[in-house]
Parts: sequence; structure tokens; C-alpha cells
Amino acid sequence: MTSCIYFCDNKGKTILSRRYRDDIPPSAIEKFPSLLLEAEHESSIIPPCLTHNGIQYLFIQHNDIYILTMSSSLSVNVAQVFSFLYKLVDVLAEYVKAVEEESIRDNFVIIYELLDEMMDYGVPQITETKMLKQYITQKSFKLIKSAKKSKNVVRPPSELTKSVSWRPEGIVYKKNEAFLDVVESINMLISANGQVLRSEILGKVKVKSHLSGMPDLKLGLNDKGIFTSGDSGSKAEANPSKKANIELEDLKFHQCVRLSKFENEKIITFIPPDGDFELMNYRLSLPIKPLIWCDTKIQVHSQSRIEIHCRAKAQIKKKSTANNVEILIPVPEDADSPKFRYSHGSLKYVPEKSAILWRIKSFNGGKEYSFAAQLGLPSMTDADVPRVKRPIQVKFQIPYFTTSGIQVRYLKVHEPKLQYQSYPWVRYITESGDDYTIRTA
Amino acid sequence: MEKKLKKLLQNATRVAPKISKKGELFELRNGLVSPYPQTRKDAIKKTIQQMTLGKDVSSLFPDILKNIAASDVEQKKLVYLYVMNYAETHPELCILAVNTFVSDAQDTNPLVRCMAIRTMSMIRVDKILEYVEIPLRKTLQDENPYVRKTAVICVAKLFALNKELCQELGVLEDLISALEDSNPMVVANTIAALSDIYESDPTVVQLPLLIQKHVSQFLLALNECTEWARIVILGALAEYTARDSIEAEEIIDRVTPHLQHVNAAVVLASIKVLIKNLPLIQANAESPIFSKISSALVSLMSTPPEMQYVALRNIRIILQKYPQLLTRELRIFYVKFNDPLYVKLEKIDILVRLVDPSNLKQCTLLVAELKEYALEFEPEFVSRAILALSQLAVKYSETKFVRKVLDIIVELCKTRDSFQDDCLVAMCNLLRHTGSGEEDMVAQVCSLAQAWGSVDSLLQTDYAKCNYIWLLGQFPARFNNIQQKIHNFLDSFTQEESLTQISLLITVVRLHTSLPGSLLQELLNLATTSTNEVDVRDMAIMYWRCLSLEGSNDDLINQLCNSSLPEIATTLDTFSPELLETLLRELSLLSSVYYKPVATMTKFNANRNDSLKGKHLDELKFMARDEIIKNMNEDHLLDFDDDSNSAINASAANGSTLNDLNDLFDFTPAQQASPEQRPVEESMHKLSLHKNEPSQEHSKSSNTQDLLDLF
Repeated sequence: MTSCIYFCDNKGKTILSRRYRDDIPPSAIEKFPSLLLEAEHESSIIPPCLTHNGIQYLFIQHNDIYILTMSSSLSVNVAQVFSFLYKLVDVLAEYVKAVEEESIRDNFVIIYELLDEMMDYGVPQITETKMLKQYITQKSFKLIKSAKKSKNVVRPPSELTKSVSWRPEGIVYKKNEAFLDVVESINMLISANGQVLRSEILGKVKVKSHLSGMPDLKLGLNDKGIFTSGDSGSKAEANPSKKANIELEDLKFHQCVRLSKFENEKIITFIPPDGDFELMNYRLSLPIKPLIWCDTKIQVHSQSRIEIHCRAKAQIKKKSTANNVEILIPVPEDADSPKFRYSHGSLKYVPEKSAILWRIKSFNGGKEYSFAAQLGLPSMTDADVPRVKRPIQVKFQIPYFTTSGIQVRYLKVHEPKLQYQSYPWVRYITESGDDYTIRTA
Repeated sequence: MEKKLKKLLQNATRVAPKISKKGELFELRNGLVSPYPQTRKDAIKKTIQQMTLGKDVSSLFPDILKNIAASDVEQKKLVYLYVMNYAETHPELCILAVNTFVSDAQDTNPLVRCMAIRTMSMIRVDKILEYVEIPLRKTLQDENPYVRKTAVICVAKLFALNKELCQELGVLEDLISALEDSNPMVVANTIAALSDIYESDPTVVQLPLLIQKHVSQFLLALNECTEWARIVILGALAEYTARDSIEAEEIIDRVTPHLQHVNAAVVLASIKVLIKNLPLIQANAESPIFSKISSALVSLMSTPPEMQYVALRNIRIILQKYPQLLTRELRIFYVKFNDPLYVKLEKIDILVRLVDPSNLKQCTLLVAELKEYALEFEPEFVSRAILALSQLAVKYSETKFVRKVLDIIVELCKTRDSFQDDCLVAMCNLLRHTGSGEEDMVAQVCSLAQAWGSVDSLLQTDYAKCNYIWLLGQFPARFNNIQQKIHNFLDSFTQEESLTQISLLITVVRLHTSLPGSLLQELLNLATTSTNEVDVRDMAIMYWRCLSLEGSNDDLINQLCNSSLPEIATTLDTFSPELLETLLRELSLLSSVYYKPVATMTKFNANRNDSLKGKHLDELKFMARDEIIKNMNEDHLLDFDDDSNSAINASAANGSTLNDLNDLFDFTPAQQASPEQRPVEESMHKLSLHKNEPSQEHSKSSNTQDLLDLF
């Protein structure tokens, strides 16, 4: 089990710490900065686990800080540790917005309090923000109410340890609404000649629930594996719209979803936490053609200049529009004096990234734009410097559209006691993932 | 009305802290005893802030403690926070708070009950631990599950601090019966506590037996609890061996839904249980369970990099057991441009292991992909990609394919500077796989190597040099001026590492008929006199003897020189069957990431400061007072110079531990006979083993002494 949690700055110096067990001397943390340095010195491979003197250092990086745990034994469940550290960051983010050095220094009291509730003796306990907020509340908020609070003492909510540990009772909304966001991120690797080497869709369904009481929700999707409704299972087979049904892979659900019910009956049912949460995510590895394709020709006249011709095409439906398209084309590090010719968007040279950035605010389906650029190269070059190959990176957003064709058929809300009417809202969006790249020749 | 207003005013009044010459601690102390609650609270917060910054504010302990009795839970929490922090370094101070702990453990607010019991069971003082008994028993039976789940953990804490007491009190039985608790979170924490106790002393609780008794209960609880509790329960289930295939089948059925949990650690824990039970059921390769595990593993590739790293290392283990598991998912493991380097390297490893050697199309695709990687810029990544190319060629094995890969590597070798080492090793591996029969490949490699100028400076690594010399020895006819090439290595013989030395020895002996005798003589001389490597020296002596045997030993020498190495079938390393089984049992643990079973690594033994064990209450109180007085003295020092603050504080703490250590040395002789003192003796023993640490303390404390003297 983990022994302690440390928040360290980017040099590895402690900002705040909480020790849960005393099997590791407090001095062990002092070794961390030099361990990091050593690892960096040796090679550029710095794995998230380091060992020194029998102590295991496990850490993740977030913004400008390291979040570190230590353990005295190899029998620590490292998957749980990393998963917990990321959860910790999520929870803290809900309290202090951006989790970084400054915000941790400013909020140490609340962080201590959270660390105490979230982990006991190295065993993760309660990490559900919605519930933590019930009895660990922001200082500022408390100060105003402190006069009243003295009567109504803070207690752990009784639901905490029940099977629905993520939702308190007695939530009331005037207008009962549920918002569904279906977001699909496209990761794609395209070779220089336009061949798709790898493509995947990472989708998620985000829910914002403004519902009173303890509602029981049932979500219907047009997935082959998921029955759209209990009785029409056989009907759907015969239905001509069967083609529209798709098969999702690797479904992952928020813990409020009854997993065994899904496993046995393929029905997604759940009692949602209040507010925002990610209900499910899925992955699809179907072959898809590039949504934004750009054909780039780079000609290097060594020691004088480099010419770039780029044609970008939005290969999406005519009525769809890709927004905020950004195409980042790498150029040699020593290039200078850029000259551009282009018809759409804005084009600029970003020396700190050694790249040209082409921005197009809105890119209509089927349209094709292009630009030409020329950059100077120094006449004296060190011939030994290896030519570095970097891919072109593309970013975009396409609203009202999902690549996989997933659709929400219905969201049924049933609250046994209150029996109210509710309004589900659904939005679809497709965007580039963190790895939508086109290789250069 | 007026009264109310007055009260409100008093409650809300905050006295602004003044900057005075007497220093911050003085101000804080003033704040702590202020008549205005809000001011006191602010002062506590400030104190905790100082504590977080690493300043020693333990001298404020008594003043802080006065604030613990407040009805304001928030303030109580702050005080407890402070107390917990000093519980570890100044356990003797906590004795002052023991009455509050006991009364708080009976508070009506469950939050307060938890805080009290949690803090009490953390303080390493026997006297306090003795007070723990009644509150602990009560909270273990508390009607609130939130309190119960805290109390069961406290048993493990108590056990770690004082095993004997824990057994004496009989709370272990209470802990075991908590496995029957109706609340799944309490059950999960109980399992965690029991495993912790079991790990430190397997004789006290029969964990495997307990798990066996409660399997069906655990399976039921799985659906009802938080993600973290699920991980603990799944961990316990993975320890259990099902009686028969029916039970294994049931466990698999119950656990499979959890592969779809969003928490990657739950997924991995479920996979571990499934893999444990798979051998017990008749599952053929087409069984849906395999595709479920496969897609769960794939889904772990869309998690944060640290998690991916754990998953990749675990996949490597699982793949050796079930090589077919992920064959269809090759593309998932393609390296992403923005993956961290440690993930990229693991992915390459998995790619080569994963690829199906009977599928030409897949292999060709992978070659193209690896070739792209070899054109990237991170040196480690490129090296790994080149190695992977050769591994893939050897795996696919067909000559035409190997030739194609060789072309790629030769091309890389020419275009990419500073990767000759890796290319050469890769090429030699290919030649060793195809054997010397493939003339054109041999010619291609040799002509490339022939063209190199000063090889001994071009090649950096021992391994690459060794391969180069092997190449000379295998195909001497293809090199001109071989004598000069070998001579260059001889000049730097003493600076080379052992692989190069051995390789040089073998090659020169092999070629002794075609090389001048003086070269052989010189090398044998060097190898027997000027090397520290025992292996090299032994080998040289053996060769020398063989060669200097008179007369009819031509056969022997021919055998020696003209033998050829067996062709290599694979360049991928594998685990031994025993290691594999152990690692499969330890999936998702850190040991499975390092590929080192838990048993092989000795546990880190903390130098526990047990000196406070067995002291009398009076003595402790006396020590507490002492400690406070000492710290107060230092407060004045602190005001002089801010820079030296932390140094002094650190050394002061060390100094006090040193004192305690001295006490310890005084103590032991008298009590050596009593078996209960074992831990103390042990810790003493360890202290002497970890020599550098006490010596550091020595130097630090003497520094303090000097500083104190100065003032």
C-alpha cells in the first residue's frame, strides 16, 4: 500500500505532503529531486516509477507539479496508485480549478482535509466529488455561513457508504433537465501518400444532470449490442434501419451504471450523480477516411530555401462545417524570413515550434483551400545535423455530427416518488483527438 | 437583541496580526489564546501554514490543544491535522491530548469519532495505545458504517505499531468478524487491513482461509461498492484458487462485467482474476472470454501514459501465456507522436511480440511502421526501432523477408549517423539467423563494414564492437587489411570491456593460421596479464594451452577454430515458466512492472524509532515538557536569521532522535532477556547496518551544537 502523498514542484521539491504510514522515513523525499536528475542525466527515458534504496517512488506529472507516492514494497498495486493519483487531480480540480503549484499553496487546508477523506492508511476511500462536497466545503463559503452552521453540524452524509454512494438525497430542481453531449475524438495516422495507417474513434457520452430526487435513467443508443428497447429486440432485426446500427467496442461506464445488468441484458440503466459527469466512453477502430486531409509538398533547396505547397480539403458532408481548423506544418529549425501566399484563413510562422500554423475559422464540407510558402535557409549548414522528421498535426471541431453514426434514441427518466416530466437535450460533436497526424514524405 | 449582536460581534471579530519584534511564533501564540474565536481559528490556520512550509511549530502544541474542545467541527479538524502531523515526530507531546481523544471518540458526530480514533491509532506511544482499546472496540461496533470502515483500518495501524498489544486486546477477532459486515465498503477496508497484517506477519491471521470462506460474499459485494473497494475485493479474489471448474466459471461470470468499468485499475484487477481462473475452465481460443479480455486490454491504451505503461508491461507478461490474445489488435500499439518515450519503447516491444509470424501482410506493414520510427529523432527510440526490425525479421524468418529488412537497415546505417552501433548489431543478428549460406547478404554487410575508417572510434558500445570483431572472424576473406584492423583493437585492448576482449580473443585464435604469430602472442600476453576480467584471463590461458600442445592436436585446433555457431531462432527474450507463473499472480502490482517477483526483493526496513516503547507516563510527560522548552529556546534563535531556520529545525529534530537513540542504548542491556524487546534490538541492528544514516545524523547534530555554541 502507498505510504504517503507528496505534491512537488517541477524540481521535485515538496510543496505539501501527507503521510499515511510510517514505514518510510520522512527524509526519503529529499532523494526525489536527485533521482529525477539522475534519470534525466542517464537517458531521456524517465519511467513513472523509480527505485532507490528499497523505496519505490511512483509519480505522475500534472501542469507544473509532480504528484508522488512512495511505497516500501513491490507488492503495491501500481495500477490503483496511478488511477488514484489521477482521480486526486480531478477532485482537486473541482475545488481549486487549476491544480498547480500556486493553487496548492493557496488551498493547503482544504487539500489536507481532502487527502484525509480520500485515503486512509494508504487505502483509497471516497473520491466522489459530489459527495465530498457535502461535508468538505470551501472555506470562503463556510465563513459566511458559519453562524448558521454551528447548529447544523457537518456530518458525513449517510449515503456515503450505501450502494448509491455518489448521490445525496433531497435534490430539487424547478425544471428537470438532462443534457447529453456525445463527443467523438478522432485519432488518425496518415502516411504522406494519403494512406490511413491507423484510425480510431474515441467517443464519450457526457451528462449534465439537473434532475430532482433519485431518478432512474435508461439510455437507448443505436448500438447493435444494446437493445433499443426491451421488447422490440426482434423487431429491430427486421427493421430496414438495421444498417444504421453500429457496434461499439470497449464500452466503459461510470460507476453509477449497473454493470451486471448491462452484461446480461444490454440495457444501460443508472442513477446519475448530480451535475456533470462522464457516463460512458467507447472506442471504435473502424477504417475511416481522413475528415480533414492535407496534401503537402515540401521542396528543400538545401542552403538556400524551402518551398511548401499545401492543399487542405474538408472531406465531410456539404452541409457540415469544420470549425477552428488548425494545421501545423513543421519546418527546419533554422528556417527564417517566411513568405506566404494564401487565400483563406490566417497563416503564420511559429519559430518556437519550428512550424507554420494555418488557421481556418470555418471550413465548409467539400471545400478545398491551399497555400504556398517559402522560407529561407541559412547558406552555411552543419551537414552532420540529422534531418528530423516530424508529422503535420491537424486540429478541428465538427458540430452536429458523429463519425461513428452513434445516436441517442432515447433517455427515459423515471423518478418513483416525484414522477416529474423531464427534458433530455442531446448535442453531437466530432473533434480531432490528441493524435491526428499526417506524416511528411 | 443587543446580546445577540454582541455575541455576533465577538464571534466575527478578527484581530489583525501585528508585526512585532518578538517574531512570528509569538504572534501565533497570542492569536491562539485570543478571546475571539475567529482570531483563534485564523491563528490555527496560520500555524498549519507554517507547518506546511516545513517550519517547526511544535512549541505551540499546548496552545493549539486548548482549541480542540471547540464545538466547531472545522476548527477541530484543523487541530487534529496539526496533532496528526506532530504525532509522528513528537509522539510524547500527544500524551497531552489523550483525554480529548477518548471523549471525542464518543462524540455524537461520526466525523469527530472517526478523527479521534484515526489519530489515536497513529501515535506511537504505548500509553496512548492502551487508551485506544475501549474507543476502538466501540467504533468497530458503531452503527454508522462510515465509522466502522475507519475503525477496521485502525486495527491494522495498531498492529503495525504494537503487535503484542493488538493481539492482547483481541481486536483481531473483531476485525475478522467485520468480514461479515453488511456494508461492502467496510468489508473492503477489512480485507485491506487483513492483507496488510498478513503481509507483515502471516502467522497471525489465516488470510487465504478467510478469503476462501467469504468468496461468495465478496462476489455479491462487488456490484455494490465504490471503485476502490472493488479493486481491493478483486485483489482478494485473485488470491483465491477455485475448487473446481464450476466455481471458476461462476467467478468468471461475476467478474467479467467489471471489465467495463471506467477505472483502469478495476479493469486490470478484473483481468487478473480472470487469468487466474482461466486455466480451470475449458476455454478454447474462440471463447468469448478471450475477446472480452482482449478488448479490455486494448481499452487500457486510451488511459494516461503512466497507466499505459503499467498496462503494457503487464500485457508483455500476459502475451507470453496467451500469445494469440491480441493478434488482431496490432494497430492499437502503433506509437503515437506525443507518447512519452517510456511508453513508446514498451509499445515497440509489444508490437514485435504481437505480430503473427505467419501473416506476411501484417509483418510487411509493421516493417514499414518500424522504418518510420527509425527516422525519428529521439536516439533511444531509433535504437529500439532498429533492434525491433531485426527481431521482426528473425521472427518471420523467411529469407526474402530478411533480405528486405537487411536492405532497410543498411540504408539506415548509411543515412543516419550515430546509429552504426545499433545497425551493426542488427545486421549481425540477421546474419546469425540466416547462416553463412546467404552470400549476397554477407557481402552486403561486409562491404559496408569494410568501408568504415576507424572502427574503434566509430563504434561506441561494447556489444557493437564485439559484433564487429565477430564479423571479421566469420568472414575474413571479405575484408582487406584485416591484420591492421585487429591491430587497432589490440592497441586499446586494456580499455575495452569484456565482451570485446573475449570476442577479440576468439577471432584471433580462429584466424591464427592467417595472421602473423606475433599478433597472437601479443594478444595472449595482454589477455593473461593486463586484464581484470577473470573470464577473459581463463579463456586466454585455455587457448594458450591448447595451441602450445605439441604434435597431434591439429584436429582439436581445427575443431576449435572452424566450429560454427548454431543459427539463432529468436532474439526475443522470454520469462522462465516459474517466473511467468509468479508474475501472472502478481499482475497490476509494482513487481509485475519491474518483472521482479515480490519475494525476490527484500522489503525496505524502516529504522523505526521504537525508543518510546515501554516508557512510563511520567517520563513521557517530562520528555514532552523538555521538548517544548528546547523548541522554545530555538524560537529565539529563529528570529535572528531566517535562512538558517530550516537547517536548524532539521538538525534539531535529528538531534532529538539522536537523544532517543542514546536512551535506547542505555535501555537495552537491562531488558535483553525479555522477548518483547526484540523489535528494539532488531532496529538497533539495522541501524548499524545502515551506517551512513546515523553518521549523517551525527554530523548534523554536531553542527547544531556548533551553531548553538556560536550564539
